[in-house]
Amino acid sequence: MRRSTRLVAAIVVLDLIVAVGLISENQHVLTLAIQTMILAALAASWNILGGFAGQISLGHAAFFGLGALITRELWLGGTALALAIAAAVAVTAVAAAVVGVPILRFREIYFAIGTLALGVAVFITAGNLWPGITSLPAESLRNYRFTGPYFVALGVLVTTVVISLWLKHSKVGLGMMTVRDDEEAAKATGVNTFAHKMIAFVVSASLAALAGSAFAYFSVSYYPNFAFSVIWTFEAILVVFIGGLGTIVGPLLGSVFFIVGRDVLPTDIGEFQVVLFGLLFIVVVLLLPGGLTETATRLVETTGRRFTKTTSDEPTATKGKEPT
Amino acid sequence: MTQLILQSVVSGILVGGMYGLVALGLALAFGVLKVLDVAHGELLMLGGYASFFAFTFWGLDPFVSMPLVFVAMFGFGVILYLVLFRYVTRTEIHTRIKNSLLISFGLVLVLQALAVRFFTADERTISTAYSLEALTIGPVRVPVVRLAGLVVAVSAALALEWLLSRTRFGRALRATSEDWTRAALTGVNVRRVYLIAFAISAALAAIAGSLVSMGYSISPSIGLGWTLKALIVVVLAGLGSMRGIIVAGIFLGLVESLASVWLGGQYREVVALVLFLVILSFRPHGFYGRAHA
Amino acid sequence: MLRVDGLEVAYGDLQVVWGVSFVVPEDSIVAILGPNGAGKTTTLLAIMGLLPVKAGSASFKGNSLIGLPTHQMVERGLVMIPEERGAFTSLSVEENLELGAYTPRARTSRTETMEEVYDTFPRLAARKSQSAGTLSGGERQMLAIGKALMARPELLILDEPSLGLAPIIVEQIFDVIRDIRDRGVSVLMVEQHLEMALESADYAYILEMGSMATEGTGPELEADTRVREAYLSL
Repeated sequence: MRRSTRLVAAIVVLDLIVAVGLISENQHVLTLAIQTMILAALAASWNILGGFAGQISLGHAAFFGLGALITRELWLGGTALALAIAAAVAVTAVAAAVVGVPILRFREIYFAIGTLALGVAVFITAGNLWPGITSLPAESLRNYRFTGPYFVALGVLVTTVVISLWLKHSKVGLGMMTVRDDEEAAKATGVNTFAHKMIAFVVSASLAALAGSAFAYFSVSYYPNFAFSVIWTFEAILVVFIGGLGTIVGPLLGSVFFIVGRDVLPTDIGEFQVVLFGLLFIVVVLLLPGGLTETATRLVETTGRRFTKTTSDEPTATKGKEPT
Repeated sequence: MTQLILQSVVSGILVGGMYGLVALGLALAFGVLKVLDVAHGELLMLGGYASFFAFTFWGLDPFVSMPLVFVAMFGFGVILYLVLFRYVTRTEIHTRIKNSLLISFGLVLVLQALAVRFFTADERTISTAYSLEALTIGPVRVPVVRLAGLVVAVSAALALEWLLSRTRFGRALRATSEDWTRAALTGVNVRRVYLIAFAISAALAAIAGSLVSMGYSISPSIGLGWTLKALIVVVLAGLGSMRGIIVAGIFLGLVESLASVWLGGQYREVVALVLFLVILSFRPHGFYGRAHA
Repeated sequence: MLRVDGLEVAYGDLQVVWGVSFVVPEDSIVAILGPNGAGKTTTLLAIMGLLPVKAGSASFKGNSLIGLPTHQMVERGLVMIPEERGAFTSLSVEENLELGAYTPRARTSRTETMEEVYDTFPRLAARKSQSAGTLSGGERQMLAIGKALMARPELLILDEPSLGLAPIIVEQIFDVIRDIRDRGVSVLMVEQHLEMALESADYAYILEMGSMATEGTGPELEADTRVREAYLSL
């Protein structure tokens, strides 16, 4: 698709989303929409580290949870929401920078294991330190409106997408992608691989905290350690892989597919939902690294080719971003 | 104060033995297949439930049912390999590790969800007649069940060591760990070695689970916590090495325990995490490991 | 004994071997020579089932090798010693030899074969319980050959046996190779060391960029001036 077409499409979609937020009274639709936007934002944030810089982090939920925790505590304690969110993002960014110093020096699987360890350790500790449920006070419950959380979630998503877009076309982003493609070669051409990884790590963590903040603002009541749960990491990665690793639209498409799909599934299968998505994840990793985006692009290309008369000898493009 | 410290030391050693046992299976799977199965803890969890239900429904003492659990989970490991990990081993080593990490990550959620569905999210513990018995050595109390766990862990490690160094199959295992193509050229049926190694690994996780259900408690979500500990131990001992795993486990247990005395039990995981990061930063090959291919 | 016809091997889209054909008769030493990157090792790995074969055939004693699992080839008597020695550094010398007799057929005569191997390579006997990682390059090559002999091969494939070894050792290795042939085991070797290979080989093929350039007996190729010029630098 041409750049201008894409831009128009994006604006149309955005307008639709805004309209729904302003007009709809359907709680179910609004809830789904907000959940989708939060997940999409989280997935997009993971994508910056995993898709652009090629570092597979299995502990992403740690930052989502931290952002949620700080926002929730501050906001429920009386701080203005905007300030609470700003604080949450700032603290998470610093935490990521500190943790990143040792962890980013690890190569490949040690990084994945290290982030996994981080995620699990933080989850368990959060559960130890904040065992009690966090709930909106009764008054807020009575006056609960979806509009606030809806537009905060939208704002978070738009911010994340804009930053992703900017990164992808920037010099910094290019540097990240060279690290992803071949770290040794990147180093050899003078790219400061550590700096690029750190930037990706901190940006990714900050945006995750932002998504977590939206979650904290939206949710009525939950256990604080839930926001640190590995489920969030899993869903973010799943959604990115389904949608297309390394693409901008991928996390968005994937989230819609996931949330809608999950909603559409019959309720009596209960826990088997997770089983289903777990299996889907495995299948996607094994067979379809390009995800939906690649499938869609291929479809567009092949139908396009049917209408043009050119016969070309070009070899079939090798698969998109492989999870290597 | 001394009593507290001594008791911590004992608890640390006892839980460390368990860490070592869990790590043993993980190290075997990674060493031989070069596959990182983060769902290892889920296999522990399933083994624990197997023991628990054998006890609850058939009245089988968990030590009696342990061999049965071993065999049952060996079978499950065979199935898991044939259905899933076999395909992961088709790729070359570099991709293999990454893929197995991601795929077993998915497996974690699948197994956890199934466990919640079938076993409910409640915490379970096996309470036998002797569950509360403890040896008293001076000021220190040593729960019998946990001590037995340590004994089992050490025995398993010795048995594995015997298998590796004294048997023909063990030589094949070590050869395959070093270089599977060379092993194939030597006439080793690599696919079969992979299958058996993976199944043994699963079975080891399961008996660790039995011991955990006796000496501690199990619930569907405990998997990742144990996997994490196992990972730390494996890295401590040296990724790819089968030696010194129990020792490394006890080391981790001790450090955690003593640090908890000082910092408070809630920060246990953080202690383990910091230790992990420190080791990885300075000695990525652990204490015993060599740089692996 | 070993017959390869029109073998084609590709790594994904990249084709490396284009229709290679050769024969290894009984009781002979056949060499495949050629510069680096010609596809010699790739050909061997494909025959042994470690790389997928795109097209062509390979048969051993009349039975097809395509699709056969590697370990079964060893059972049938086709043994390959890969580049960089075939021994395991994490095992001792004796363990390596014991492992060499892994297949059922080889296991039955394990003790006698081990004695023969120790006779042929007294240096190994002296270092029985040492870890293979502590051996010198030449000793490790001998261990690799000894280990391969433990499998009681009928055809032994060697990938670059002289690589990285001092000239004296290389001579010894080639003595051993000739001895093996004399004892009734055919040998297929891939070599860069032109002179030594041509001296020992009964027949040789030259592989260039994935296809056969020339073939002939040792003396024929030695006399061929083009061959000399092309590979003199090696």
